[in-house]
Amino acid sequence: MQLLLQQVVLGLLIGGIYVAVAIGFSLVWGILNIVNLAHGALVMVGAYVTWLLFAHAHLDPFLSLPVVAVALFAFGYALQRILINRVIRAPLFFTLLLTFGVNLMIVNALLVLFKSDFRSVTPSYSGSGFGIASVQVPYIRLAALGVAVVLAAAVGVLLNRTRTGAAIQAVGADRDAARLVGVDLRHVYALTFAVAAACAGVAGALISTIQAITPTAGEPYTLQAFVVVVLGGLGRVGATVVGGLVFGLVETLGQTMVPGLGAGWANAIAFAILVVVLIARPQGLMGRRP
Amino acid sequence: MEQVQVPPPPSPPGTAPAPRARVNGGRLRRPLLIVFLLAVLLVLLAPLTTTDQADSLGVPVLVDRSQIRILTTVAMFVVMASGWNLVGGLTGYGSFGNVAFFGLGAYTCAVAVDVHRLHLPMAAGIAFAPLVPAAFAALVGLALLRLRGHYFAIATLGTAVAVGEVVKNVDYLGGATGLFPPILHSADLLFLYLMVGAALLAVIVSRLILRSRFGYGLIAIRENEEAASVIGVNTTAYKVGAFTVAAALTGLAGGVFAVWNSFINQELGFSLDFNIQMILMAVLGGAGTLFGPVLGVIVLEFLLQNVAGRSDVAVYAQIGLGLLLAVTVIFVPRGIVDFFGGSSRLSLAHLRRALRETSA
Repeated sequence: MQLLLQQVVLGLLIGGIYVAVAIGFSLVWGILNIVNLAHGALVMVGAYVTWLLFAHAHLDPFLSLPVVAVALFAFGYALQRILINRVIRAPLFFTLLLTFGVNLMIVNALLVLFKSDFRSVTPSYSGSGFGIASVQVPYIRLAALGVAVVLAAAVGVLLNRTRTGAAIQAVGADRDAARLVGVDLRHVYALTFAVAAACAGVAGALISTIQAITPTAGEPYTLQAFVVVVLGGLGRVGATVVGGLVFGLVETLGQTMVPGLGAGWANAIAFAILVVVLIARPQGLMGRRP
Repeated sequence: MEQVQVPPPPSPPGTAPAPRARVNGGRLRRPLLIVFLLAVLLVLLAPLTTTDQADSLGVPVLVDRSQIRILTTVAMFVVMASGWNLVGGLTGYGSFGNVAFFGLGAYTCAVAVDVHRLHLPMAAGIAFAPLVPAAFAALVGLALLRLRGHYFAIATLGTAVAVGEVVKNVDYLGGATGLFPPILHSADLLFLYLMVGAALLAVIVSRLILRSRFGYGLIAIRENEEAASVIGVNTTAYKVGAFTVAAALTGLAGGVFAVWNSFINQELGFSLDFNIQMILMAVLGGAGTLFGPVLGVIVLEFLLQNVAGRSDVAVYAQIGLGLLLAVTVIFVPRGIVDFFGGSSRLSLAHLRRALRETSA
């Protein structure tokens, strides 16, 4: 019981990380109809920017969040405007191939720049936490969950309460109609991708505080983001939050409470969840039946 | 990806046949002749099993070990790209996880020939190699092929990653260390023959499928699955059939690879590099065509060996691969084959048009 409670808390906390990773992924998928296989690579770019600021400017990882977000926003805008806009009307599979190519380029550019050494961001308070009735809660993971929730709320406000958000949603609903009413498609595509990249960067900053980072460490997060979005249901920020928390919970409990499984089974568990959801409830936990 | 030329309906008597049909026939006959000649050459060379023999007889190419390695690799990718083409090119289901079949085939063969496990002869190992992936594909295909587009692509990618992870966690399959099939010193040319044989088989099977009722059914599914179903194509059986044939071919390549390399582990068997390379080759050459994948393999292997392979650092090769993916998808989405007798010419005007068609 004690162990179960502890694992539930840890699962929800790690779920916060998955929420942060999946928000941007869900945005690009829902609006641009692109499954961005370079998403995990963007997460790692965010993690390395955080590490650079921490190692060289001694900036606290949570204070560097705005810097990371702005840097990734600019990078994402350029990436979409220059490259991905070129295939936006091509068959689905081509956008997958292109983003996979972008993923290869980013990951290997990171390998050139940073080598494959393990780097970590360790502020003075990492490793400490507090206990409620002998359940341990690490400060950093709690803060990461808080940031993820704030990030989700911010994206929700941007999409639903601003003129830019209205334009983004209009493009997601019907590209041609949006263009007819005067939306600059190329700009909105790039803007959407830029917001998603900024979210990925923030997620990367959070990840850099809880695990050692390498250029290839982002790759599992792409598959996990996909599972989270499928699990929650595509199209709404709230669904992504639910999907992320449930995924974190199921993964943690699966690894620790099921005999015979362990940390080496993370991908297999994610995949099993994916297949079950796709077959049993294709619209996701929170989605409406189309 | 709409470039399989469905032959025009038979012309009514008295009219000249459509010129397009003649062009196609002529275009296909020559490469098929090469396939036939290669098969004959393979039979003739079969008694020559070692480089030492080739050396003493003065046979060119077969004395150079690095050339043999490159040729074997090319043949291996011809099998994989042709197999992928049956699902991704012909049926229009962009699979992102065919390397699972390669890994399953490799592990099947390795377990079969391993001294501490089944300890069967090599021929039996290679014969078993396509069976396990084919059975696996038939089973998971029933579930996966209900998905479309992004969902299918990622679900197949997930399959490949998950199967690799399971294999790595099972001690009987060598765990994280891997398996070591016995090294065959006495016949180093044998694997080249086996792999080329597998490649010829892949091309012949593709050709048979392309010109059969089965193949036309697959094309119909790609063009419009609902319509295909309405006109009486059993879409589930056809899709699972194509998936299974692709798995058997890819598994065969994996089986030969396991004994050729005499070492197999999760990173090699379920290599995401192989996974993406076979797709890139098929798309670069021309997905949905018979010889597109073959051409793509030759071009990409040439590039990898001569341009990227020469730099000592593998990361630059990877960056080049990513760049090539981007360039292919943006500028030559119909593949290189399209420039030879297809609707496109390799010209600046065509590249500009390709760009305009898909850009925002």
